[in-house]
Parts: sequence; structure tokens; C-alpha cells
Amino acid sequence: MIEILATNIVSPLGLTTEENYRAVRAGRSALEPLCDWRGIPNKFTASIFNKEQVRAIKVEGFTHFESSVIRSIQEALLHCDIDVTSPRTALILSTTKANVDALDPKSEEYGEYLSPGATAKKIAAHFGMVSEPIVVCNACISGVTAQILANRLLSAGTYDVAIVCGADSVTPFVVSGFLSFKTLSPMECKPFDIERLGLNLGDGAATIIFGKGNSASNRWQIVDGQLSNDAYHTSTPSPVGEGTVEALKRVLDRVDVEDIGVICVHGTATMFNDQMESKAIERSGLSDIPLSALKGYYGHTLGASGVLETILAMRALDDGVVLPVRGFSEIGVSGRVNISNQEVACNKKSLLKIISGFGSCNGVLLYAKGAQNRTSNSNTCEVVCTDSIHITPESVEVNGESIATTSTGAALLKELYKRYIGDYTKFYKMDALSRLAILASSILLQRESEADRSKTHDIILFNNSSSIIADLNHLKTISDSDNFYPSPSIFLHTLPNIATGEIAIHNSFKGETSLYILNEKCEEVMNTIATVSLLASSNEKLITGWVDCCDDDTFDAEIKILTKK
Amino acid sequence: MEDLTLTLKQQIIEALNLEEISPEDIDNDAPLFGDGLGLDSIDALEIIVILDRYYGIKLENPAEGKSIFKSINTIADYIAKNRTK
Repeated sequence: MIEILATNIVSPLGLTTEENYRAVRAGRSALEPLCDWRGIPNKFTASIFNKEQVRAIKVEGFTHFESSVIRSIQEALLHCDIDVTSPRTALILSTTKANVDALDPKSEEYGEYLSPGATAKKIAAHFGMVSEPIVVCNACISGVTAQILANRLLSAGTYDVAIVCGADSVTPFVVSGFLSFKTLSPMECKPFDIERLGLNLGDGAATIIFGKGNSASNRWQIVDGQLSNDAYHTSTPSPVGEGTVEALKRVLDRVDVEDIGVICVHGTATMFNDQMESKAIERSGLSDIPLSALKGYYGHTLGASGVLETILAMRALDDGVVLPVRGFSEIGVSGRVNISNQEVACNKKSLLKIISGFGSCNGVLLYAKGAQNRTSNSNTCEVVCTDSIHITPESVEVNGESIATTSTGAALLKELYKRYIGDYTKFYKMDALSRLAILASSILLQRESEADRSKTHDIILFNNSSSIIADLNHLKTISDSDNFYPSPSIFLHTLPNIATGEIAIHNSFKGETSLYILNEKCEEVMNTIATVSLLASSNEKLITGWVDCCDDDTFDAEIKILTKK
Repeated sequence: MEDLTLTLKQQIIEALNLEEISPEDIDNDAPLFGDGLGLDSIDALEIIVILDRYYGIKLENPAEGKSIFKSINTIADYIAKNRTK
């Protein structure tokens, strides 16, 4: 059984879980209106650290983002007795944009940029950790993906302890991106409300330290966690919550929903998200369970949200309450849900977390006290590699055999598209990373039999450069405030997991989709994650491997299909 | 007006990376979304950026776009009536 040993939240509302919990219980929100903020021409509302807090968090030699992660982990470590320097202690960092502010020439931290993998390595070294850190970059569901990964790795015995830290910063980079999507509310957000106008963004870092426990333990434990893609659209969720319903179905199999005290929803307060979640909740027969929706206190803390909000909802259940949904007053969704802007008493000790994000991905986690963890590591089936492909700017090899091509670099990708796909013009709208992922996976899938190809494949990709090409392109669109025209499609591709979503959508695969960033192409870590994930999945097949692009002409895709035997 | 529709098509082709399509391929009255060119919600947001960037028209609510973005002609009409640059 995998249980929670310690937690921490670092946010504008406090530097510990208790400070944050007390602030929220007292009805405090960190949201504030911002005007002329760091060159952003629009007014918006966000939860950001003030200057004193930034100074208090600062760790010498580290950026603001890194400092917030370090402070959060450091404080959580005070509440448990673990050996961080053991090779059996993992660091899993959940973030969408990590140090991206240091890529922005207008930032005070410009020039200090490190890729997310290198950032995680630097943080790990600070704590004397020796295991290879893993960065989860799965858009808004990163925090839940990271915990599911921790559960799998600990259940499989790969590690004894996992430190999961979710963090992101409000930066002109992300604010402009959400502005281009017209999803930022100028006012404080109103989750599930009829008058909701969109989301607010928020600064935050939150940590959960997981370890192994037993059934006699009185700690919170993970019962099960699942991910499922809508295979619908990279920036719009399935209107009926397809992926969330599917993931719920798998997690709630053999669970008495009467025991669940609260559903901690994503509740971003955008039109689409809240409506979709209400449909998924109704379709799954969960309409009577009270909702915890915390964006009215913190805004959307991106990579932190799946960790931060879970910690708070759990802490509240420990006190026998469900926190009020701040900002909500009149129901504005069509699926039936149990929501209140007042505190609700609840003596149940089981919590359901649901979350959805760009790239069509959805995640569900079920926790309980004294629960039976269902993640099976007694799965005896074998995992074998059935096909593999390696694409570099100069060559293509399938199952070790070289394929004759006439072009190189970006032109090679177009050549491969015309030869192997040809009729999916959406290809041209993708950035190099998604193009590479779609091509490599399509060529592999064409080698499978019709029957195999129609089976849902999970998709787990790894890289090092994250979405660096799109990141730099997006920054160009916002560099000049008189010529400030961020593009939604460029911003979308600054989430590298879009590449996994594109594969899912192209093939209608409604399985897991995840993207992990490593500091280097480490076969051992990739194989371990791929194997434990496939064994924990209800699907038979997994497309996995390395897909990295550092510029349009420099790339490396080495992926394979793993099959359960 | 003809100049405007041609420029608009070029701007849309560039912003949306419609690589295999030239302005002549787009019928001024054909639907842009759904069947026609098969554009989607994110393309609509890109067209909102075009209106702002080249014509000084700010469309804050994407829902307003529905009737305006029916075809090249409806967008061109809207631009002709509302442009500030």
C-alpha cells in the first residue's frame, strides 16, 4: 500500500500545508486584479507571490521557480523520516513550464534557463539525491499523472519513497497564452457558476511524499489511479467527459461510491471544463457526492494544481469538512452536481480527484484511509517489444532496417508524411515535435495487423528539450507590447504532451497519454516507467520511447510498441 | 472588396498553416468550419488574432465569431464595417 508520509504547500496564502489550510478555512483568497503587469496589455486576475514572499522563498543560486520547489520539498521533509540520499528515493517533478521565465528576454532571470530535466537534476543535487529525477509534463493533469507514476513505481518496488512536487509560476509566457485562448477571467473566477467567465492563474508549489504503508496505517493511501484520453481535440475537452468517465469506470470498479466523501474537481471555471466535468460526474453516478473546487482561492496553479488541491481537500476531510466553493453562487452546468459555497460536514475518509487538460488527457485518483491498494504488481505477464523505429535528421530505421529517403531535416518529415500518411492535413498545423511523434507512431502502427491496430494503445513519450521550439516561437509573439499577438496554436504546442494527444486523436486511442522529461536519454528509466505503466493498464499495447526536437532540423525519435504477452 | 478577400485568404492560409491550399482553392461563400475547409475551434481563435493584428478589431468573446466566421465573404464584410486600421 502506498501512503502519504508528508505534505507541503507553498503559495501566496502560506508556506506550509497548515498555513494554507487555515487561510482557506478562514475564507481567504490570494486572487487579486492585476493591471499593466509585466508588459501584459490586458487586465486579469491572478494569485501571485508578492515581493516579500518572493524574497522569503528565494534560495541563493536558484531561480524563483526552483526556489519554490526547494522550499516546498524542504518543509515536507521536516514531517517525515526518510533517506533522501538513498538511490531508492525518487524525485518526480510535476510542471508545465518550469523555468520558462528565464527564456524571456524581459525577465529578471533571463539567461538562467535550464531545461526542465536539468532543473530537476539541479534540485535533486541540492538535496543530495542520487536517483535520476523524472519530470512529468502532462499539461494540467501533471500533478495527478505524477502521483499515479509514484504509486506504480513504489508498488512495483522500483523505489521505496517518492517525493512528488508540483510547481509552476505565473509568467507573461503563460498569461499571454491563456489570453490567446480567451479563457482568462478579468474577475475572480466562479467555478460551476452560471456567470463564470474563465479561469485565473496562480503561483504555487506543493509536495506529497509517498512511502510504503500497511493496512493498519491511519494515513491517506492511494487506492488506484488511471489516465484516459478523450481522443477528441487537443484544446477542447469531450463535451460529455468521455476520458474522465472512462478513467472513473476503471478506478471505481469494485468501489462502493457511498464511501467517497468528496470529489476534488478541476473546476477551472471555464465554460467547457466545468460543463464537461458535470456531465462526467452525472454519467458516472456520482452526482450526490459534494464537490471540492478550490480555484477561487488559488487560481489554476497548473503543474501544482493536481497536488495542491488534493492536499487541501484531504486536510479538510481530516477535520470532517468539505471546503466551500468560493466564487460559486448559481449553478451553470447541465450535469447534476452537489456543490455549495458553504462548508459541508463530512465524516467519510475517501477522496476522489478528477482532472483534465490540454492534449485531451484526463486523470482520476482515488485515495482512502486504511484502504486496500489495488495497483497490482503481481501481474505476471511479460512485456515484449513488437516493433521499433528510429528517425534522425539523416536516417530512418524500422526494426533495425534502414529505409531509403531522399531528404534530410525538416524536409525529411514532410517526405515521410507524404509517403506514409498523406491525407491528414492537420499534420501541417503541428509543430516539429508533434509531427515527429505522429510520423514515428504511424509508421509503426502500419506494421501491425488490422486487428492489433484497432486496439487502444497507451502512449508514453519521453524527451529532454520539452517544447523548446514552440516556447521560443511563443515568446517572439509577445516580445513587443505594441505588437502583442500571442497565437493560440503556438501556445498549445508549448505543452509537449500535445504530441501524445495528437497520436491519440489521430488513431482514436482512448488510453493513457503521458509525457515525461528526463535530463538525458536514460533507457533504464524509460523502460521501467513504460513497463510498470503497461502492467498497470487495462490495455495490451503501449507506444513508448524518446521523441525530442531541439530545432526544426535537429531531432531524434526512437520509439517502439510494447505488447503484453 | 476583392483585394480584401484575397489578402484575408492569404493571412488565413499563413496563420493556419494550410500548406496544401492556395487562395483560389477557397470559395468566398463556402463554409470555413465543419465541412468546407474543416477548420476548428483553435483556428477560430487564430482568426480572432488576424482580426486584431491586421484590422484592429477586438473580439473578446469567441462566441461572437460564430456568425462572422461563416465564410470568407462574411469575415470580409465584418472587417469592412468594423476595421480600425
